[in-house]
Amino acid sequence: MKRSLHLLVSVAVLFVVSGYSVAQSSPSVEFNAANAGPRAVEDLTSESVPRDYAFAWQNLSQALYENRPGLLDAYFTGFAKSSLEQRIKQQAQSGLHVRYTDHGHKLNVLFYSPNGDLMQIEDDAQLEMQILDGGKVIQSQPLHVRYMVLMTPGADRWMVRDLESTPASRSGE
Amino acid sequence: MRTVITWLLCSLAAAMPAAAAELHAPKDIAAGTDFAITVNGDSHGTFYLIGPATAEKRSVENGSEISVPGTDTEKAGNYQAILCSDECVSAEFYVHAAEADRLSLLVHPSRVPVATTNAISAVAIALDRFHNIVFSHAQVDFSVNSSNGSSASHAQPTNRGIAWIRLTSAAKASSTKISAAVGETTETRVVEQVASEACNLHIKSYWEANHLVVQTDPVRDCSGNNVPDGTVVSFTKTDSSGKTTVDAPIKKGIAKAEMPVVGHARISVASGVVLGNELNVGGAR
Repeated sequence: MKRSLHLLVSVAVLFVVSGYSVAQSSPSVEFNAANAGPRAVEDLTSESVPRDYAFAWQNLSQALYENRPGLLDAYFTGFAKSSLEQRIKQQAQSGLHVRYTDHGHKLNVLFYSPNGDLMQIEDDAQLEMQILDGGKVIQSQPLHVRYMVLMTPGADRWMVRDLESTPASRSGE
Repeated sequence: MRTVITWLLCSLAAAMPAAAAELHAPKDIAAGTDFAITVNGDSHGTFYLIGPATAEKRSVENGSEISVPGTDTEKAGNYQAILCSDECVSAEFYVHAAEADRLSLLVHPSRVPVATTNAISAVAIALDRFHNIVFSHAQVDFSVNSSNGSSASHAQPTNRGIAWIRLTSAAKASSTKISAAVGETTETRVVEQVASEACNLHIKSYWEANHLVVQTDPVRDCSGNNVPDGTVVSFTKTDSSGKTTVDAPIKKGIAKAEMPVVGHARISVASGVVLGNELNVGGAR
């Protein structure tokens, strides 16, 4: 009986610990395709793009905090993936971590290619960023960042191909 | 007395906390450019540089500048420079793309039927040599060169890094090179313009041993282009035993099928949505 209880407590602790590292929920994403062109965004695409972009940010936040570049594989490709992989590799070498608290994204589709194989999106993101050296927070600030995003369709999802903050981005708001 | 005053001043200076350093970064930096961050105050400590593809940490000694090599800022975007000694101070700066130097060119589809309006699209993304998208205006020169010698060109400015065109495929089947150029860089893709649906599909028949052989005339589209080999043509026989369909691919421009026929039969032909003529034939010989 005592042994079973001990086992139950161990399993519960394991769940709590593993839950701590993966408990990041996907952020809220608003999607506006009214300005898209030259192709109109299809109904199904209007659902899948914000869903996949939210998952991409969820994975990105976790990858930057835990320094696990493999988490990028699911929703990042091309230059976006290679740049972030490089950053995470350098973070791991320097003992740095970046923790994002994601307060949501407002997406505005600027371009949807005639064949539906490329979408350019402006993302108005509200974030809080903490930079940690080991366990010590060296920088903490709220961010209002405007990203230009390129997404392309994969086999069963939309992938982030480029993610670039723009000069219009402002911090501290 | 003088010694005492000097000693007091030195003690006072030692007792006062050092003024926090301030970092000043240039506001406008091109990707891959060496630059320096100015430090007002004590620059001794640990320097961090966090950017889109950078997370650097290094010790810095006293000095009025912290140099940042261009290799640390090849990716465009927002960067944070942080200097920590007793406390941390920071500065933000933005790195913009260098000059447009490369192109990413998407051309679809790779095979297209002839004489189809706006069937081909070409999308060019202007990039710098570090693969950053160049958001400032750049001129992309699109050109189309067909294997039969005809050519056309069109200059299109980028909008937020992207320029695109749509093209109608030519009337004659041929391969076409679609190119986009920015600066010294040119990217080319090849599109095969192939025959469209069959047009005026016509069959004839003859007896070979005890079988009826049904074959098409050379299968061409409405512009006179040969429909590609491998395109399926369906022959359908209707007689007293019912309906039988034989699918045959076009080989050397012609589709052919052998059909056993007993009694009177009607034979029709179709390819895709196109129907051809019908034959009425008698029984086996």
